[in-house]
Amino acid sequence: MAGKSGATPTTYSPSPTTQNKKRPPIFNDVDWVRPDGRGFHQCRPAFLRTGAVNSASGSAYAEFGNTKVIVSVFGPRESKKAMMYSDIGRLNCNVSYTTFATPVRGQGSDHKEFSSILHKALEGGIILDSFPKTTVDVFALVLESGGGDLPVVISCASLALADAGIMMYDLIASVSVSCLGKNLVIDPISEEESYQDGSLMITCMPSRNEVTQLTVTGEWSTPKIHEAMELCLDACSKLGKIMRSCLKEAASPVQE
Amino acid sequence: MSSATMTSDLSSEMEVDAFRRLFPLRFHERHLQESIRPDARPLGKARDTSVALGAVASADGSALAKIGCTTMLAAIKMEVMTPTTESADEGCIAIDFHMPPICSPIVRPGRPAEAAPVISKHSGMINLKELSLVSGKAAWMAYLDIYCLDADGALFDAALLSAVAAFSHLQIPVVSLNDDGRVVVVSNEEGEKLEKEPVNKERRKLKLSSIPFSLTCVLHKNYILADPTAEEESVMETLLTVVLDSSFQLVSLYKPGGPVLAHTSVIQDSVALTRQRLKELQKILNEAVSDMEVD
Repeated sequence: MAGKSGATPTTYSPSPTTQNKKRPPIFNDVDWVRPDGRGFHQCRPAFLRTGAVNSASGSAYAEFGNTKVIVSVFGPRESKKAMMYSDIGRLNCNVSYTTFATPVRGQGSDHKEFSSILHKALEGGIILDSFPKTTVDVFALVLESGGGDLPVVISCASLALADAGIMMYDLIASVSVSCLGKNLVIDPISEEESYQDGSLMITCMPSRNEVTQLTVTGEWSTPKIHEAMELCLDACSKLGKIMRSCLKEAASPVQE
Repeated sequence: MSSATMTSDLSSEMEVDAFRRLFPLRFHERHLQESIRPDARPLGKARDTSVALGAVASADGSALAKIGCTTMLAAIKMEVMTPTTESADEGCIAIDFHMPPICSPIVRPGRPAEAAPVISKHSGMINLKELSLVSGKAAWMAYLDIYCLDADGALFDAALLSAVAAFSHLQIPVVSLNDDGRVVVVSNEEGEKLEKEPVNKERRKLKLSSIPFSLTCVLHKNYILADPTAEEESVMETLLTVVLDSSFQLVSLYKPGGPVLAHTSVIQDSVALTRQRLKELQKILNEAVSDMEVD
């Protein structure tokens, strides 16, 4: 299928494609082991650091398993000339992927859908009144996609906003759950996501106990949704604590 | 001249930070007179540099290079292509440089980066014949993508260093031809005997000959500042980039205009600085490679 000689030769990746593969029967059973050996209700170890990008007002790097994300925050700075006057600040979000983020080389383009979801997830948590007439830019780059990219981007973005000193009601933590047959698995990896029946993502402010965003896709029964929400909220409050300690860690050496 | 003396009078009363913002050129010139730079470096010294290999697990070869705050992430993905008839037994390399909006306040999404340096193909480092699989039928296309994660001057140096490091980390995967004539990866887990002999029998590394290293200098009056920061680049506009290979031969010399005209002696001095820098960079790269082999 490879194209004949041309200005730009067409290429293909030699790695086997997973799209056409059938779901392994193992996922239908009640008992199975997750590909990375975690328990169903166990999140991936999170590594968080602030101040990853020096030239930004604030930035954070997050690594959850193989998912690696870097978020920079710029501003508050002058809004674009074309923008109308606004009493409250504006939030501008952009999520993009590197070409090597996915197993098969992508185009490395902007991810419009993720950008708007990120915007909606953060909007509720930021005190926009605190920077009138100006814009805060939140730029995320997914260095490597290992599943559950969006929740990691959202959590990392709120950490970067905190690092930039943007006023927020609370840190914003996000966790997703996948429904696989009879089981609910928290913080899914790419492989689990590709076989899922449904997914649920909660973005919340743990210490205020407020949800800024809830997305449910796929097939769910009501008791399952309740169970998944409980799981997510519990994980969010734990993630919130980790994020908080990360911020404290970054601030403590300066005080000494 | 009167304005210059006026600013110096002003400066004694002004806070350093305000002076730096209001009179950036004066600020830097006063440092240069003392043969020192705002970050306490002597003029000819480059910033601390580090290289980490294997930063991206989803790529066949990758590296993260840091020069001071400037950070570059380079990754190589290997894909298969049909070679052209003119060069039937050669592979190909495609290089892309990206400035995502995260790296600098100047870059905004949707706008092409103005400062995007062009990473030219450094002929001689890689023998394209090594990238051949089946002569005339299949060859490797190495997609090298370099992302600037943090832009703080000397972007070309960091980009080149990360690219070279990614190539030294690159391992060509084991592949075989399947029944459809397509090349597929042979995974190690499948212990079963293959019907066909693998085209590429073992994971191998590319042989890199004459690795290029570069040093960017800012020229201002008679001063040569090695490895400038973004601030120095914006205040003093004349840049000179020298690329030497590991046997100290000149690969490229790039001076994209600028108000300062370089004398021959200035260029010779810059080349001499690059020679010193090359030894440093070689040591850093070799350490990074040997660290990988121990693991």
